[in-house]
Amino acid sequence: MSSKELQSLISEETIELDREFENKIDAIKGLLQLIDDTGNVKDREKALNALKEREEEATTGVGKGIGIPHAKTEAVTEPAAAFIRAEDGVDFDAADGEPARLLFMLLFPEGTEDEYLEVLSSISRSLIHDDVREKLLNAETPENAFEIIEEEVSE
Amino acid sequence: MSSRTVEIAPKAGLHARPASKFVEVVQEYEADIKISDPSTEEKPVDAGSMLAITGLGLKKGEEMEIEAEGSDAEEAIDALEEVITTPEE
Repeated sequence: MSSKELQSLISEETIELDREFENKIDAIKGLLQLIDDTGNVKDREKALNALKEREEEATTGVGKGIGIPHAKTEAVTEPAAAFIRAEDGVDFDAADGEPARLLFMLLFPEGTEDEYLEVLSSISRSLIHDDVREKLLNAETPENAFEIIEEEVSE
Repeated sequence: MSSRTVEIAPKAGLHARPASKFVEVVQEYEADIKISDPSTEEKPVDAGSMLAITGLGLKKGEEMEIEAEGSDAEEAIDALEEVITTPEE
């Protein structure tokens, strides 16, 4: 299985639809909780701090209603991902000012520079297409969202 | 139209702070600016879109082609080249 594939890092357990969030940090905590619930996070606080540091460096609100908070951290031993669709847009400090509804989280162990950039870029490339974002916005169940990710959001 | 091929210097590639700086600089110019990865056949993408830049996934040492069209195209490319060729700490 290629490490490039988001579908290998995400599962229905780490997908949630139509959550409500107060703000970006609240959304990041919600995404992290999904990954933590699978037992793949050794140190939740450490992971959260790494994610916050990354946001301070530059926002992961990449525009077009998408947020991809991500970090490399010793808090995980394997790459892991989560997807949440927010009920209302969350302000992710994007350059285009558009609130984010499609939220992806990526956590990678230290020392995985290339794989990490490859997964990030493959998600971004897929989400540039209006029809892919539209499908995710219209997904009815986490299972349905997973199928869309499987078919569209990977290389 | 002006274009230039530059090599990515920041350690983490065109990502995080350098990518965000890049988008800021793009927005300071009137020129229509697009970027592409010359090692692929993919069409140039909007240089002012963080999503598009992240989609390129350019790493340190890889090349990027910048093309700009407009009255300040050359200046824009100069400024962008500086962002791209400045190594981060």
